[in-house]
Amino acid sequence: MDAPTLKRAASAVTMGIGGLLWLAAILFMAQTAQNSEQFSRLHPWILMINIAGLAVLVGLLATKLAQLIRDWRGHVIGSRLKARMVWIFGVLATLPILLVYFFAVQFLSKGIDSWFNVEIRRSLDDALVLSRSALEVRMREHLADSALVADELALMRGTTMPGLLESLRRQVGALELIVATDTGSIIAVSKGLSDDFVPEAVPDEVLLQVRQGQPFVSLEPQQEGGYLIRTAVRVGVSLPGEERLIVQGIFPVAERLGALADTVQAAYKQFGEKDYLRQPLKASFILTLTVVLLLSLLAAWYGAIFTAQRLVQPIQDLVQGTRAVAQGDLDTKLPLTSHDEMGFLVHSFNDMIKRLRRAREESRRAQQAAETERANLAVILARLSTGVISLERDWRVRTANRAASMILGEDIESRVGTEFDTIGADPGGLARQFAESCRQRFSAGATEWREQFAFMAGMSRRILMCACTPLPGEGDAPGGYVLVFDDITVMLQAQREAAWGEVARRLAHEIKNPLTPIRLSAERLRHKLLPAMADPKDVQMLERATETIVQQVEAMKEMVNAFSEYARAPRLEMSAVDLNRMVTEVSDLYRAQGAMRGVKLRVHLDPAIDSVVADPGRLRQLLNNLLTNSVEALEGQGQGSISVTTQRAMRGDTEVVEIAVEDDGPGFQREVIGQVFDPYVTTKAKGTGLGLAIVRKIVEEHGGHVEADNRAGGGARVCIDLPLHDTGTDSNARGRGSYEPRRERA
Amino acid sequence: MRYSRFVVASKPSFLARWAVRVLLCVIATAGAPAASAAEARLGLRDVAVRLDDGVYELDARLDLDLPAAGRRAVESGLTLRLNYEIVIDRERRYMLDAEVASLEQRYEVNYHALSQRWLVRNLNTGEQSDFGSLETALARISELRGLPILDAALLPPGPVYRGRIRAVLDLSTAPDAFGWLLFWADDWSAESDWKTWTLRP
Repeated sequence: MDAPTLKRAASAVTMGIGGLLWLAAILFMAQTAQNSEQFSRLHPWILMINIAGLAVLVGLLATKLAQLIRDWRGHVIGSRLKARMVWIFGVLATLPILLVYFFAVQFLSKGIDSWFNVEIRRSLDDALVLSRSALEVRMREHLADSALVADELALMRGTTMPGLLESLRRQVGALELIVATDTGSIIAVSKGLSDDFVPEAVPDEVLLQVRQGQPFVSLEPQQEGGYLIRTAVRVGVSLPGEERLIVQGIFPVAERLGALADTVQAAYKQFGEKDYLRQPLKASFILTLTVVLLLSLLAAWYGAIFTAQRLVQPIQDLVQGTRAVAQGDLDTKLPLTSHDEMGFLVHSFNDMIKRLRRAREESRRAQQAAETERANLAVILARLSTGVISLERDWRVRTANRAASMILGEDIESRVGTEFDTIGADPGGLARQFAESCRQRFSAGATEWREQFAFMAGMSRRILMCACTPLPGEGDAPGGYVLVFDDITVMLQAQREAAWGEVARRLAHEIKNPLTPIRLSAERLRHKLLPAMADPKDVQMLERATETIVQQVEAMKEMVNAFSEYARAPRLEMSAVDLNRMVTEVSDLYRAQGAMRGVKLRVHLDPAIDSVVADPGRLRQLLNNLLTNSVEALEGQGQGSISVTTQRAMRGDTEVVEIAVEDDGPGFQREVIGQVFDPYVTTKAKGTGLGLAIVRKIVEEHGGHVEADNRAGGGARVCIDLPLHDTGTDSNARGRGSYEPRRERA
Repeated sequence: MRYSRFVVASKPSFLARWAVRVLLCVIATAGAPAASAAEARLGLRDVAVRLDDGVYELDARLDLDLPAAGRRAVESGLTLRLNYEIVIDRERRYMLDAEVASLEQRYEVNYHALSQRWLVRNLNTGEQSDFGSLETALARISELRGLPILDAALLPPGPVYRGRIRAVLDLSTAPDAFGWLLFWADDWSAESDWKTWTLRP
């Protein structure tokens, strides 16, 4: 059994015992008022118990009322309703009780007074006087008889006293005649039939009165009922020195008269007692009534408070429970104290909380599952190389993955919640162009589309493949959109390179083979025909024709070799290369060549660079191609300069070596600047258009990246980043580097 | 010669009566009677015990001053009761004294309105006598003369015995009257102090 149940049980038992004691006390008081001899002795105690109970009730009620007032002032929930109920119950109980009390007091007071009205008192007095008068007649008669006996005794003094006395007693009808001296000494006695032959002494009161010369007569009530009349008179006139004699007579009163007199006396006595106790009786009845009234009244008020508390308690519990639930506490369970409508309400509340708790638990589990899924999805999205951006229906960014930021060159992940149109800080940047292009598709009414976009990011051309799909929402309206896009620039370039590689292999295979027979045939023709020709013009024509054939064949051979070189599968032989030294060696080769054409070549080397892991042959070819490209670009310009710079730098978390080759030539034409690394893209009069394509291929083979751009002051600039691998590693270190090659910007 | 042996009446103690009265004075309504009457004065004197023919007999005299309220009550028909409570204890050194015997000599005084006589009844013997005035009636019951209280044979020699007596004056009513109301009307009722004497058998 829990503590509240025990407390309730103890309270109920206490109240039950208290109520029984209270009822017992009231019943005892009622018994007392009914004149029970047994309860008369206990009357003070019963009264005191009732008053003590009254005091206890007053204390309890005061405590409860004080608590109620404190609750009222403290704005405790339910206190006002409780106070109203207490007030209503109390008033409803008080008014009838007071009304009954008022009339009961009136009835009691007037009813008790009516018992002792003047007529009854007067009647009893009259009856007493009448009875007394009737008896006084007898008393006077017997006094006269006693006087007669005294006269006879005085006349017959000297005769035999006992005989005379007996005769006189019989004559007057006395029960007893005594002749005694006035000091009380009995001289003679005459007594009728009686068990007690010993005469009683003459009372002092009789002697005193007779000695004073007055006859004595009195009515003496008997213990066993009835009356006797006692008379005493002096016997004659005594001589000096002679004892004075008195005669006392005891006379019976008729039994009938005595019985009637007893009745009157008893009634008079009883009335006198009750009349004397009339005021205490009224006061006691009123006090008893008042105590009962106060007990009932206080019990009614206490009951009103108790009932109001019982009625309000479930409401207070409900309000507190509702507040607790509102604050998220779904472990609340209200005590079920009754099985009435309020109990049904409490039961329903508990049931509702139980369902809410279950629903919250299910929701929490679902949310947890969703969070897990979201986390998984976030991991997947983060690891995806494809950019994913989800948008709200109002075009605010909901989520974005890391690849999206990398593709668009903006930190889109930190722009969650912002307008999709403003995700790019640079108005001409890739992100802004991407957003505008997407917006155009949406403005055209397309919600699900797939499109390939080509953008200019700086000097580079970027191609993005983007797909948009609406997210499910309420009704037909989409709940948002998801953009999935990828940078396919590299892929397209790779495709092109693959295509060109195939072309190169076919050219090498289809063209290179016949070139040698063609050259040999031309040289054979010259060798066979030249001696036979006499005409110098024919000789000159033949020599010129065969020379042209040979030269063109050589040119074609070079071109085919270049193609072959471009298409050749990479077979790198990686080793530690002293880059600065290699740059110096290659530059020295071109310095002399450039000096003849008025071109100055400057080299700026970073002494912090020790070596890089690379294929030295391919690296040398890369430098040759770049310098050749620059020298050819300055050809015909007269004066020019070429600058080769090496520098150690950081690209994100990766340390790289930057090789920059700059010239002050005409630079790249703007229309082809995005395609300068594509094969056969050239603006020069001569050249295969494979130089920069091979450069890019070598760079990619080494895990680096290359950019081509025009200088601000004129001229071209090609910048290469090569990862600076640990020179202590072997040639396979290339594949283990953490450097992630950046996308081509060329 | 008769004497009765009984247990002291179980009536509310003096303290309880006054406790109730104090409570009632505070709480009772205005109509409730207040305890304002003068109390009767009771005083025992000339208490003496003598051994007569193997029986201890008691002589005592009571100074009784009945207030007017008491006279009015008796004249109205209520019965005046005078009880002499007599207790013989055996002294003990380390314990409370042991009660050897107790008796009560009870008198009632009534006014007989029809005969205008005052009746005195010895409730122990049933004897009744009548007097012409209340004073003579009270004088009759205010004197104990040769009241046998204990057979000497009932007191083993050796220990010291201590006797005590007191008088209690109050009212009573007829059985069918409102006896419990006397609680409100006998404010003048009183009891005397104990008077003690020593018995050495």
